[in-house]
Amino acid sequence: MIWLLNIALLILLVATAIAAVFSRDLLAAVIILSVYSFIMAILYTQLNAPDVGLTEAAVGAGATTLLFIIAIRRTSRREEE
Amino acid sequence: MMPGIWQAAILVIAALILAAMIRLFAGPTAPDRVVALDTVNTLTIASMILLGVIYRQLIFVDVAIVYALLSFVGTLYIAKYIGGEL
Repeated sequence: MIWLLNIALLILLVATAIAAVFSRDLLAAVIILSVYSFIMAILYTQLNAPDVGLTEAAVGAGATTLLFIIAIRRTSRREEE
Repeated sequence: MMPGIWQAAILVIAALILAAMIRLFAGPTAPDRVVALDTVNTLTIASMILLGVIYRQLIFVDVAIVYALLSFVGTLYIAKYIGGEL
């Protein structure tokens, strides 16, 4: 039954990646990318690699979101045409 | 214990992640998306603990602890940016 979880999470992963690329609001893109990191960590943990999941948690949830927020603050929030 | 009940529970959690993700994609303002992000965050931690029960490994709980701590920092910084403090 666990393969059903894998398929559902992989579909959600592709959906979040496409939504992050096509978003015009950059803050929304950062938030969607953070959810991408969450789903990726569940997949790593489910594939019996908890150390990789731990690194994904530290980098994806903590460092990447913080750095992107600081970069948006220094530049502009809306993407220009 | 029935072995299938934990896997059924984790499928229910995946369905709840899907429901929160509809709000994440369609949310008109940024605070809607942040609330959806925090919901997905909590469901992720619950699913990691359920995976630890299914695979009978204690290290998954440690991953869940680190994840709960660090994703709180991320949500805090997004909230500070929306509030205009950062």
